[in-house]
Amino acid sequence: MHRAYVTLLFVTALQGTSPQDDGQWTMPAKNYAATRYSGLSQITPTNAAKLRPVWNFSTGVLGGHEGQPLVVGSTMYVVTPFPNVLYAFDLTQQGYPLRWKYRPDVNPAAVGVACCDAINRGAVYADGKIIYNLLDGHTVAVDAQTGREIWKTQIGDIGEGETTPMAPFVARNRVIVGPSGGEFGIYGWVKGLDLATGKILWTAHNMGPDSLMLAQSGRGAFGGAANIGVSTWSGDAWKRGGAPVWGWISYDPQLDLIYFGTGNPGPYNTEQRPGENKWTNSVLARRPANGTLVWAYQFTPHDSWDYDANAEMILADFVVGGRMRKVLVHFDKNGFAYTLDRATGEVLVAEPFANVTWAKGINRTTGLPILDTTKTTGVSKGNVKGICPSLEGGKSPASPAAYSPRTGWFYTATNNLCMNFEASQVTRIPGTPYIGASTPYMAGPGGNMGEFIAWDAARGRKVWGIKEKYPVWSGSVVTAGGVVFYGTLDGWFKAADARTGKPLWKFKVGSGVVGAPISFRGADGKQYIAVYAGIGGDWFLLSGDVRSDDPADVRPPADFAPDLARHTSQGGTVWIFGL
Amino acid sequence: MRYPEHVSAGGNAPPADDLTNPFAKDSASIADGSQIFTRMNCDGCHGAGATGWVGPSLVDGRWRYGGSDGSLFQSIFYGRPRGMPAYGGVMSAGAIWRVVSYIRAQPVPSTVPTERWEPPQRP
Ligand code: HEC
Repeated sequence: MHRAYVTLLFVTALQGTSPQDDGQWTMPAKNYAATRYSGLSQITPTNAAKLRPVWNFSTGVLGGHEGQPLVVGSTMYVVTPFPNVLYAFDLTQQGYPLRWKYRPDVNPAAVGVACCDAINRGAVYADGKIIYNLLDGHTVAVDAQTGREIWKTQIGDIGEGETTPMAPFVARNRVIVGPSGGEFGIYGWVKGLDLATGKILWTAHNMGPDSLMLAQSGRGAFGGAANIGVSTWSGDAWKRGGAPVWGWISYDPQLDLIYFGTGNPGPYNTEQRPGENKWTNSVLARRPANGTLVWAYQFTPHDSWDYDANAEMILADFVVGGRMRKVLVHFDKNGFAYTLDRATGEVLVAEPFANVTWAKGINRTTGLPILDTTKTTGVSKGNVKGICPSLEGGKSPASPAAYSPRTGWFYTATNNLCMNFEASQVTRIPGTPYIGASTPYMAGPGGNMGEFIAWDAARGRKVWGIKEKYPVWSGSVVTAGGVVFYGTLDGWFKAADARTGKPLWKFKVGSGVVGAPISFRGADGKQYIAVYAGIGGDWFLLSGDVRSDDPADVRPPADFAPDLARHTSQGGTVWIFGL
Repeated sequence: MRYPEHVSAGGNAPPADDLTNPFAKDSASIADGSQIFTRMNCDGCHGAGATGWVGPSLVDGRWRYGGSDGSLFQSIFYGRPRGMPAYGGVMSAGAIWRVVSYIRAQPVPSTVPTERWEPPQRP
């Protein structure tokens, strides 16, 4: 059995454009290109109204259920938030009983160091192993058949503010991992681990001298001068400058480049870190085998607003401006959607997909944003009002987009929130937050706090949108059947026609959705959709009153969304839907 | 857990810890404590005004580890297992007591136990 899975992995096509879908979901974003496109086509706009729940399972854990399950052969794998239980369900038997469950030993102290709830973004399957990160700075590889731990490697240090909820990625026998901790003044990195042994083969920092960044100086888009990771900072501020790697990774096997985004510079108070702060809030293209930095591009230089660039880089090939291009598409927290040449980092398209007030646009020649200087922040600027998007992002990196090669469009959750921003001086005490800002939110224009949209990345324009009352914080999956799926914070799971945006179906799943749906072929040959319910992540913090398990922790509701807890409480459930 | 509500084996409570706050309700200490709360980055985990963030609310009148002066001191000095860092190595006892004064001076909101979205209805 498990040998068959290995061969199946090799046929996973870069674009998801292969005529046949193997029906599995073996990596976080479905394929190397991170399209979250399923080639399955039984569920269509015509029959989607007949979708019904076929199974659900309580994970027994309450934290934010971000990320997605995996389906490998006839087993579904689910990783929970802290304490990071791994469940393996047998999809061939009625009721999908467990084959096994794995209970790692995770340090509960990590719960305080995780900035924004003790979430996990999922696992990856490779070489007979299920590989994922524990919150407390470890990566584990577990035998996919038996549930036995094969290796466990310490990759991060919670004492320095590093936690590890991101989903690892595998390319060229390297397990690529990175830390969270942009709010703790970490010195951001990515590491490449040996798939067979878990040994750390390379560590590449996102700033600092070229030697520590594994950078080839003199290369790259928009300024690849030597030691740019030092010269764009003042003094040694880069050593605690953040640039975490907590989002998604993609890979182009022809160019042999992995792509990932880096997070915010620390602290939020800009005046403690003069300079452009490279490579925070950037996309980096590296060689998976040895980590070499080939090019990088910074979306938000000298970030004033916590605009992390950890959102997925989706790889696609289509015509831009009359020419066929190999691109990557990225919806940034800063509210702009970027279409870049993925060989060079050249900016081809950069247009707002959300309401943006901090910049008037992006200069495509220099790659620099055209700032509205009344919106830049820092202690000396006092309380700066009316900044859009809020630091939740025009879209959260936690809610990855999908791309359909059939429609040629991208599908993504968005937030319509603005904020005020009052910075303050802050001291780094390792293991405690390094933030220095107060940032209350308010709904953006129109009052609806979210919208699910379809986006044409060749032209940089919205095709359709479905307005939602609350911010939309779920990932999405789009299928060859022409249906796109997403969930809402008030606990609905929804289907829409990928071409027209017409709502087709919805079901109340018991808790707000912050996970990413997947589509797979069951052992009976039918198409299914799986998704987690379980509000959390930032929404554990923001809608404080969705918690009910602790009599000693009772919180007021969020002032900008006071009735969210009327519709949802915390809870963790895996759902499967079918026709 | 809330220490005073522990069940005592045999009905015999152990002797209480008798740490007392030298500053208690002194207003200058409370003001200092408020500043220390920010300076020590407590607000980054417990939220501005300590209403709860990654760490629990410290102003809801409810306590996981006890709300006496001594319990609060111990929570801060030695830390707590699910993510409360031990500050005993970077803060003096005096600074910790001032923060305790600040926390204990915060008003407990009266609306805590019941949150209602509809107007009251007559049965
Ligand atoms: C890194 C995040 C973090 C920082 C920084 C932090 N706390 Fe905490 N704190 C927590 C967490 C998480 C808990 C809950 C621990 C548990 O339940 O084991 C907690 C618990 C507590 C408690 C016990 C609450 C109860 O209900 O019994 C007190 C008191 C407290 N913190 C005060 C402070 C003070 C004062 C500071 C600053 C000097 C501070 N904390 C800094 C995360 C933090």
